Amino acid sequence: MSALTFTLKYRPDQRVDLSPLVCQNLEGKEIAEIAALELQSGKAKLRVDALFNISFGDAQNIVIKNSFGKLDFIGKKLNGGSIRVEGDAGAYLGMGMKSGSIRVTGNAGLYAACEMKKGTLQIDGDAGDFLGGALPGNKMGMKGGLILVKGNVGERAGDHMRRGTILIEGNAGDYCGSRMTAGTIAVMGQTGRYLGYAMRRGTLLLWSQPQLSASFNDCGAHTLGFLPMLFASFKSLNSRFADAAVGFNRVRRYAGDMAEAGRGEVLVKL
Amino acid sequence: MMIKLTGGTVYDPAAGIDGKKQDIYIQDGRIVKKPAKDVPIDKEYDLKGKVVMSGAIDMHTHIGGGKGNIARTLLPEDHRQDPVARTECTRSGCGHAMPSTFVTGYRYAEMGYTAGFEPAVLPVNARQAHMEMGDIPILDKGGYVMLGSDDYLLRMLTAKKDQKAVNDYVAWTINAAKAIGVKVVNPGGINAFKFNQRKLDLDEQNSHYGVTPRQILQTLATAVKELGVSHPLHVHGCNLGVPGNMETTLNTIEGIGGLPLHLTHIQFHSYGTEGDFKFSSGAAQIAEAVNKHKNITIDVGQILFGQTVTASGDNMRQHANHKHASPNKWVTMDIECDAGCGVVPFKYRDQNFVNALQWAIGLETFLLVDDPWRIFLTTDHPNGAPFTSYPHLIRLLMDKSFRNDMLATIHPEAQKMTTLGSIDREYTLNEIAIMTRAGAAKLIGLHDRGGLSPGNWADITVYTENADREKMFEKPDYVFKDGDLVVRDGKVIATKWGTTHVVKPDFDPSVEKGLKDYFDRYLTMKLGNFKISDDEITEDGRGSITAHPLKRLA
Repeated sequence: MSALTFTLKYRPDQRVDLSPLVCQNLEGKEIAEIAALELQSGKAKLRVDALFNISFGDAQNIVIKNSFGKLDFIGKKLNGGSIRVEGDAGAYLGMGMKSGSIRVTGNAGLYAACEMKKGTLQIDGDAGDFLGGALPGNKMGMKGGLILVKGNVGERAGDHMRRGTILIEGNAGDYCGSRMTAGTIAVMGQTGRYLGYAMRRGTLLLWSQPQLSASFNDCGAHTLGFLPMLFASFKSLNSRFADAAVGFNRVRRYAGDMAEAGRGEVLVKL
Repeated sequence: MMIKLTGGTVYDPAAGIDGKKQDIYIQDGRIVKKPAKDVPIDKEYDLKGKVVMSGAIDMHTHIGGGKGNIARTLLPEDHRQDPVARTECTRSGCGHAMPSTFVTGYRYAEMGYTAGFEPAVLPVNARQAHMEMGDIPILDKGGYVMLGSDDYLLRMLTAKKDQKAVNDYVAWTINAAKAIGVKVVNPGGINAFKFNQRKLDLDEQNSHYGVTPRQILQTLATAVKELGVSHPLHVHGCNLGVPGNMETTLNTIEGIGGLPLHLTHIQFHSYGTEGDFKFSSGAAQIAEAVNKHKNITIDVGQILFGQTVTASGDNMRQHANHKHASPNKWVTMDIECDAGCGVVPFKYRDQNFVNALQWAIGLETFLLVDDPWRIFLTTDHPNGAPFTSYPHLIRLLMDKSFRNDMLATIHPEAQKMTTLGSIDREYTLNEIAIMTRAGAAKLIGLHDRGGLSPGNWADITVYTENADREKMFEKPDYVFKDGDLVVRDGKVIATKWGTTHVVKPDFDPSVEKGLKDYFDRYLTMKLGNFKISDDEITEDGRGSITAHPLKRLA
């Protein structure tokens, strides 16, 4: 059975909350029922068929075509199934997703994979601030799963992150890994200022030397046996992380943030 | 316009009416006598079979002042999880534990409440508290100004200034802060916290000023009485939440020597140290003491299970409680040397021994205190539970079998430690009306509210009799505020603005001389700016001030 496809007809001026268009919510619905669902857009409520041409298909396999950066909450609380976004995604992409997979061919906005629990999220372009972070005021960001970003990410990637993996092929903005409780963030490109700000535990794996604050202690050079195993686990990904040539096991290790619990680590390729 | 409410069953304890069928007439916002035959009735409501009470008054609810905003800032999830959409006549808002101002007004009105009193107005933040309460629609409001941990009073006590000087300072502060009473929170303890004391017993000295809580209570209770302020000194005692604090509370009651005293959220001050967990109920002893001492009034501060946030001036105890914060985030701070503040989110759980017993202790207190004129129904909103849980609480008080069903679900060890199951008392509608209306109005000194006899303002709530008291009290048929119908079938249909209740005790104007020097030297605000003028409350065209008479001194 082919994918259930939504093709955007026009770009509305106001942002649109796309959270009803997730696999578990559309499963078992007729095309007429799906067409009649309402989406909040600013003050207005728009019917799905007012905004999209719908091509009926397998609800576990959703495609959103012509997507642009004002379509928010794509894949919110997704619980199984897959969503493919052709174009850009707005804010809160895959927020709180529980399982399944999401792939965006363009860029994603703020708070992508915010408080994500499980599953995989791939962004072929760039991601905005607070990738895998916590909502303002909340204490726990991403709790599991895997995020792969082929481009760059904004500030505060992995803010309050609890568990799971974030792989970034490009650069990361300031405060990468801020207030992390645990989990792993790997950045192949450059990182910004205040790396690991107030991180308690967790691992930041870097290919180039960061600018570290004074509250990180240099623990010297190490050969770490777990790194080849970690890289081996990325083998199946469609990513530079799967390339055996980019892996390493020799690192310089920094511990911090000593202004917090100080049990986090920054591992930099030697 | 003459409005007639026909044939309702009236519960008006202020006039001694307990469930009597009678008609009520409203004209120009007030209840009037039956008009002459030739006066036309413009609007008539058929209330046959309905229960009619005056609008309820919450005499202790944290609805204004800085700590509410701190709680809101601290808990954005409380907003996100409870959005309220606008309607034709109401504005949008949000919040479960600490709702926005407009939603606070609507939700109170929709339960039949027409007045709420903020118990912790810091003098230095009084303007903000009044502005915030000024944004609460429908309700009348007022505040108790907080003294007792302020540097100026403690200096006066250290310098052994006479009672007259203290009285002038207290009266001046009540006027400056536009208050209707005086509250003291952890007497001197908020201040002692700043000198690194982490507990302060009734007779323990503040390490800097050498003043004890007992002295502060004695001095302020005397001041309030001598000034003729109706509402007795509103006391949040020492050692809140500490196992064994029942002794402190009993000592406070005995030691005040017959001066009028209102002990607030007494549930948090009624703990013993018996049992395997060294935590037990002191409700029976406290209730016995309250029954014996006619000068004492209390409100309960019942806890109910679920998520809320505790917001208190008691930084000392809130700092100690921070390890129970759920979710794990909290604030404790000083406020301009005047007082302090602690905000700690709490989730009360029925399967937690301590929470379960707290729940039982509050109910025991309600049921063991004999005189409903001296006990008031509060959850210390939002500290024990949000005010929206009042109908549930009323059902617990009025329905023994429901209460026992709930009791059977809480932590088993807590069930063993409470006598709640053996208490047969069920509150009557008349007793509920006393606790939430007539008694509250009398305690605060509102001379023309809380009753339904001619001359009172027409704040009236009409319920449909229902054996399920929770259903009955959460959805009144009609609520009138100052004679206008504001709620129908539990929904706000029109809004208006309530008044701000104050008292204006006299003071010797020369008190300002010493104060001016003090303000110039130590405070961030000038004396002239500190005082709130009537205009600031009334100039927006919707606020008003109602000054209530002082008690005539014997």
